[in-house]
Amino acid sequence: MIADDDPGIVDAIDIMLSYEGYDIVSTLTGDTVLNMDSDYPDLILLDVWMPGHDGRDICKVLKQKQETKHIPVIMISASPELKRSATEAGANDFLEKPFDIEILLRKITHLIK
Amino acid sequence: MNHSIFEVPHGGYRDVFYNNPSAQLIMSTDAPFYTILDVNQAYLESTNSARETIVGKSVFAAFPANPTDNVSQNIERTIFSFEEAISTKKTHTMSNYRYDIPIPGTDEFEERYWTTSNTPVLDEHGEVMYFIHSPNNVTENYKLAQREKAGVVALSNQRQQLYSVFMQAPVGIVILKGTDFFVELVNDNYLELVGKKREEFENRSLWEGMPEVESQVFNNLLQGVLKTGIAYHGSEAEVNIVRNGVLETLYFNFVYEPLIELDNRVSGIIVVAIDVTDMVKSKDQLKEAEERARLAVDAVGLGTFDLDLVGGEMITTPQFDKIFGFDKHVPRAEFVNAMHPDDHEIRIKAHQDAIKNGWIFYEVRVIWKDGSVHWIRVEGKVFYDDNGKELRILGTLLDITEQRNFREEQRKLTTLVDNSVDLMSILNLNGTNSYINKAGMALLGFENEEHVLETPIAKLHTPEDLAFVEAEVLPQVMQKGRWAGTMYVKHLQTEEIFPVYNNCIRIDDPVSGNPIAVGAVMRDLRPELAAKQALADSEQLLRNITTAAPTALWMSDESGDITYVNQTWIDWSGVDFTSSLGEQWMKAIYADDRQRIGDKFMIDLANRAFYEAEFRLNHSDGTIHWCVITGKPQYNNAGDFTGYIGSCSDITEQKHLQQQKDDFIGVASHELKTPVTSIKAYTQVLEKMLKNQGAEREAGMIAKMDSQINRLTSLIGDLLDVTKINSGKLQFNDREFDFNQLIKELIDDLQHTAGKHVIIQELEHAGMVYADRERISQVITNLITNAIKYSPESDSIIVRTSMQNKEVSLCVQDFGIGITKQQQEKVFEQFYRVSGDLQHTFPGLGLGLYISSEIIKREGGRIWVSSKVGEGSTFCFALPIK
Repeated sequence: MIADDDPGIVDAIDIMLSYEGYDIVSTLTGDTVLNMDSDYPDLILLDVWMPGHDGRDICKVLKQKQETKHIPVIMISASPELKRSATEAGANDFLEKPFDIEILLRKITHLIK
Repeated sequence: MNHSIFEVPHGGYRDVFYNNPSAQLIMSTDAPFYTILDVNQAYLESTNSARETIVGKSVFAAFPANPTDNVSQNIERTIFSFEEAISTKKTHTMSNYRYDIPIPGTDEFEERYWTTSNTPVLDEHGEVMYFIHSPNNVTENYKLAQREKAGVVALSNQRQQLYSVFMQAPVGIVILKGTDFFVELVNDNYLELVGKKREEFENRSLWEGMPEVESQVFNNLLQGVLKTGIAYHGSEAEVNIVRNGVLETLYFNFVYEPLIELDNRVSGIIVVAIDVTDMVKSKDQLKEAEERARLAVDAVGLGTFDLDLVGGEMITTPQFDKIFGFDKHVPRAEFVNAMHPDDHEIRIKAHQDAIKNGWIFYEVRVIWKDGSVHWIRVEGKVFYDDNGKELRILGTLLDITEQRNFREEQRKLTTLVDNSVDLMSILNLNGTNSYINKAGMALLGFENEEHVLETPIAKLHTPEDLAFVEAEVLPQVMQKGRWAGTMYVKHLQTEEIFPVYNNCIRIDDPVSGNPIAVGAVMRDLRPELAAKQALADSEQLLRNITTAAPTALWMSDESGDITYVNQTWIDWSGVDFTSSLGEQWMKAIYADDRQRIGDKFMIDLANRAFYEAEFRLNHSDGTIHWCVITGKPQYNNAGDFTGYIGSCSDITEQKHLQQQKDDFIGVASHELKTPVTSIKAYTQVLEKMLKNQGAEREAGMIAKMDSQINRLTSLIGDLLDVTKINSGKLQFNDREFDFNQLIKELIDDLQHTAGKHVIIQELEHAGMVYADRERISQVITNLITNAIKYSPESDSIIVRTSMQNKEVSLCVQDFGIGITKQQQEKVFEQFYRVSGDLQHTFPGLGLGLYISSEIIKREGGRIWVSSKVGEGSTFCFALPIK
């Protein structure tokens, strides 16, 4: 699952990961992530700053819920300073924007192998 | 054969006659011829004559009288004896008469003395036939007797002379006999010496004549001489004698000479005494005078010297040596060497002048062994021989250090007084000044010293002020010895009346204690008053400035209590001045901030450190204002801490602007990076697709685009970091991590994009580091990418790590263009870029090393570079092991 308020980023990652053989669900809002009740993804790529929601808060919720806490979360942000707080919020990894797509693939592979 | 009247045969009585040892002559009675009839051998020998020359001749022809003997009357006496013998028919003897005999072959006579008997020889008729003349040569006996007689006379004369000498000798002589020292003889001089009369002294024991002397040592001395026979010589012996009824102390030189008899027995003593009382007393007086002189010399601390100008020797007294700092006498050269090198010329000139003038005088410094400097004064007189040639200098030496110092102090004092900026004067009791220093003369308008002397003090005051001086000032000085206060004086030229502060003291005669003058030290108060006014004006101005200042000002004492706030603070806080002092000012601080800024103030106060803190103020307008307070430690002239002076500025507006800026940075960061992120993602997807389609050329172009996107990303990142650094917003998330592990990971990543460069790892044990792992990664990445960028001609770089002295360090070495010394000093500055030659230009904003440097500094580490142009550079940083 990709959750980012920037459509360009969501689209580009969607194309890339689809190209790599992943099934992608993408969303531009945090609500979609919070409102998941079934068909949970294998991994969530979660932006920190999204309108109406702080990705870190969403991450905390996911990690608190029994149903979702096992889902690996990679948080992405343009601010590297947020890495620590993201990790504290329960994120499994952090990626600073802009990122190298190869690194993203390595991290995904690492987390859902 | 000689003719003989006797026909006597040889042998028999004739031989008896001839050989008779007594000289005999047989003579005829034929007066007046008295012919020699016969002579024996003894006669011939005793008269140096020969038989043939005398027999048959008149005895007087044979033995004529000595013509030079006019006194003996030998012939007459001989004839008389012949006649007596013939007439009396008895032997007649003449004794010891002179009858000289001729010396054969000469006209000379030998003096002879004879005792002669003329014996008549009678015939049977009783008539005289002839007579026998028997001369007995008694010359030797006679002369011996004569000499004895003369000796006796001479001895007698000598004795008489000795007695006279004895009696008239100019010394006292007394002859003592026996063990009780019986006075056998005493001369008048002795009696006079001891003041005795002859009848009281002579022919009795010495001690009977001088009982007062017996108990003194002389009895023992006399006994000693008597016993040993050895003379005793006394010198300047003190004797207490009653002379003419008065006990006197006299001094004698005397000799006790033993009288030694032929059997070596000492029978007595000759006492010879000379009265030397006057001499001894003179000597004592002389010695006393010398002692007094010496004491006088010592008392004034004078050393004396005797300089032999011929031999160069110098005799000195111990005081002389002491003044030169020596504890014993030393050769003259050492005295000279002890003089101050700068004063040698003075000494030399003084000696040259002394030869001409006969007197020497100079004052120089001497340096003692301990380094102290002393002033000495040399005075002396030159002595010359008969030819006017200088022989010696006798003189004195005085330590005048104290005098010199006193003179110097006096000179300084005089200089001080003369050049004092205050008036100093001495006022005589007649109302005129006897002295006013230069400053005083200028202050009061005196033209010269005569002007001072002739100007009464009445002219220096208005009548009212003069009345004050006479009624208040002078009486108090006279009664209490001092007066100090403000008074007014009048300038003699301009007649300006101006205030002075006058400090007067009474000067008393040091002997009588009576007042003789008034000393005054007077200070012109005009500059002081002007300065006070200026100070007051200045204070008022400063007060106005601080009141009007848009910044709050404050002061504290050394314990941190507020002692002053300006009106601005009062206006801001709404707390009045008094309530703002001490610790009350804290009440105006927003409650949440009080503890924090209060604690920081106490820490900075304890460390005497510059104080700076931000806080929120409960403003009097009811709003919260942000303020920054600063304070600088203050010290007095002695270097003691006196407190703080500080200010407080309202930074509410800056805070708002800062917040806007921070927000902008966040937004800009997000907004700039977001499109770049999507572009980069599309680019990479596209590149991958083209590659998969085999469109390598297009894929290559897309890869270059991705590379440029990476550059753009890096530039955006640097700009944002610099903005954060400058605004203090660069955040650090310190945690512990494995240093070498981080480096390995980074090199793994970077090696992919390093092109031809091989990144060689030379990693020693570095352990764990406590720092922001991401920021340190940023620094390492920056150093490695720089190394690659600036060494395009080489194909390797070396990364080294080590740990020592509680530091972990990393160095990245390249073999590139290198950096000059001047560039090395600036390479860590913001926006500084190392430029290559014409063939090489290097892209970038010049921010990477600045950001790295700031990160390392904020982690408490250090960063540096060593480089050589053309050989490459090594960039290093070290982090403390926390």
